[in-house]
Amino acid sequence: MSDAAAGSAIELRQLTKVYKAKEGDVRAIDALDLQVERGEIFGLLGPNGAGKTSTVEICEGLEEPTSGEVRILGRSWGEDSQGIRERIGVSLQETKFFEKLTVLELLELFASFYAKPMPLPELLALVGLEEKATQRYQNLSGGQCQRLAVACALIGYPDLLFLDEPTTGLDPQSRMRLWEVISSFREGGGTLLLTTHYMEEAATLCDRLMIIDHGRCIALGSPKQLIAELGAGHVVSLEAPGIGERLQAAELSSLASVRESTSLGDELNLTVEEPHVALPAILSLLREKNIELAGLSTRHVSLDDVFVHHTGRHLRDEEPRK
Amino acid sequence: MRPSVIKQVAVTSLREYLRTPEAIFWTYGFPLVMAVVLGIAFSSSEPGAVRVVIPETSQAAFADLLEKDNGRVEIEVRPADAAERALSMGEFDLLLQGSREDPSLRIDPRRPGSELARFHLERLLAGESETAGPRIEAVTEPGARYIDFLIPGLVGLNLLGAGMFGVGGNLVQMRTRHLLRRLTVTPMRRSEFLLGFVSSRVLLSLPAPFVIILFGWLAFDVPLRGSILTVFLLTLLGALSFSGLGLLVASRVRTVEGLSGVANMVMMPMWLLGGSFFSNERFPEVLQPLVQAMPLTHLNDAYRDVMLGGESLGSALLPMLILVVIGLISFVVALRIFRWK
Ligand SMILES: Nc1ncnc2c1ncn2[C@@H]1O[C@H](COP(=O)(O)OP(=O)(O)O)[C@@H](O)[C@H]1O
Ligand SMILES: [Mg+2]
Repeated sequence: MSDAAAGSAIELRQLTKVYKAKEGDVRAIDALDLQVERGEIFGLLGPNGAGKTSTVEICEGLEEPTSGEVRILGRSWGEDSQGIRERIGVSLQETKFFEKLTVLELLELFASFYAKPMPLPELLALVGLEEKATQRYQNLSGGQCQRLAVACALIGYPDLLFLDEPTTGLDPQSRMRLWEVISSFREGGGTLLLTTHYMEEAATLCDRLMIIDHGRCIALGSPKQLIAELGAGHVVSLEAPGIGERLQAAELSSLASVRESTSLGDELNLTVEEPHVALPAILSLLREKNIELAGLSTRHVSLDDVFVHHTGRHLRDEEPRK
Repeated sequence: MRPSVIKQVAVTSLREYLRTPEAIFWTYGFPLVMAVVLGIAFSSSEPGAVRVVIPETSQAAFADLLEKDNGRVEIEVRPADAAERALSMGEFDLLLQGSREDPSLRIDPRRPGSELARFHLERLLAGESETAGPRIEAVTEPGARYIDFLIPGLVGLNLLGAGMFGVGGNLVQMRTRHLLRRLTVTPMRRSEFLLGFVSSRVLLSLPAPFVIILFGWLAFDVPLRGSILTVFLLTLLGALSFSGLGLLVASRVRTVEGLSGVANMVMMPMWLLGGSFFSNERFPEVLQPLVQAMPLTHLNDAYRDVMLGGESLGSALLPMLILVVIGLISFVVALRIFRWK
């Protein structure tokens, strides 16, 4: 393994995936370019159906790309699939393990696949499942199942870890515990490709992230960069029936300190540099136009606003409620 | 291939089975219940009485028959339309009407009991005594009764079920749970998994045939005249062959429902034509190629030859060869088309 350290962790060039379906073809990934460097925690952020799972599963060698190039740890799946499998760790979006096996027995099974697996007591401590070691899989909670799945992914000391929506549907406490596991993996110098549709998760964990929608990259950079690209630190959100049509974008962006406006029907979002300057101007414009507000709020710019800026939709609109 | 991985996969599958009581019932409970029910149903040495119905309109004409106690023939009177209906529902074997001088019998010639009913009734109408005629002896010695025929057939069916559901069903379940695809993204080789899994299932299907044979011997005196070693070899090859078939059946389907469909398509013909419940030698000529193509036919025949006929390994060689060939073909095809996702 002389070239073990050569090449980026992940390199995707013009990756395209088209699913053939009776109702018409689905272009799940559309000419995506992506480069993840070693040691990075990289996030794929996007709503349901954006193409996150398809992208990850092509990287994992589970799906064939329709076209485009894939290199994982400097190798391609065609050349050295066994070599790649020894160096990656995977947690799929949904996997149910053997119901009747205990946590320890499941880990023993996965440990047998690797030449030098992590000692199981250490692994159990890492994911906080020591007390559940002799419990059967069928009796674990959702959060414990997820931590076990991550443990199975970590068992072979992977150079590159794939976690597909590891925290979806978990309660906040379970989510925090998984975040801790991810942080300790980062400290060990590993590379992680993480998908999520939670913007706070992406902002907290990721060094860099790509926001994707309909299989295309709509923004790429560190969370700070992406937010800074909007050019203003705050969002003023106005709510009134039909407000989007009643105010012209030009009149709004000429107001003091207002950078941009995005209409979402009955909601209007303004990115502003300084709320204390912008608000009086906004309110007087509304008075002039005789628009009665149903609500007004201000907040710091988030990744959701980045998504809204590019797509005109909220990220969370499509988030399934647990 | 690494033996340690194969062993670990096999242990996993054994644990999963041994902790699933339902699975254990289907392997052991089901054939034993079947043996008891069918064994008792067919073991009464005296055949039951035939049942005859007379419509009320003809009641007077056959008054003499109704007054006598007829032993073999049970006669009831029903209103005309009810009598007709009861006959078509199978409640009676025969409907008697017309006059005493010119009786007419209605039967469904395709129903097994109807010819027997006609025979007894004709003798009754002719006034013959039931005890006249040649003496009839029931076959009761071990080795020649229906239960002796049935037990080897149940053993064959048991192995078939183990292959279809033990191998096929469990694989499909792992596929729908995304477990198969999860396993394929590890350094585990696919051959290691299949070898470990199939060998554990073969191992698990070995005891049940002996339990059924033992039960047959204890409860019904069903003999084991040949060597137990030959029976073991047959069982091993049968289990391997049907595991291959189970693997083949499960190789493409994506859902458990899909598997039941395909498995039933394979199993139903074998239940009917494989010679487990009734001899398939007298099936029509057109069906014979199908009958002979079924591994169950050969397995059942071989079990009967060894258990009842006391034949040695030599006579079982041909069926064993057939089982091996069918098993091998299934394995090879299954591995080529197997879907891991
Ligand atoms: N096997 C498949 N067959 C057909 N369409 C699929 C298949 N898998 C995914 N898709 C479609 O591809 C798109 C992207 O899906 P996916 O990659 O699962 O998105 P995400 O993980 O971001 O929710 C969706 O529109 C989805 O319906
Ligand atoms: Mg997904």
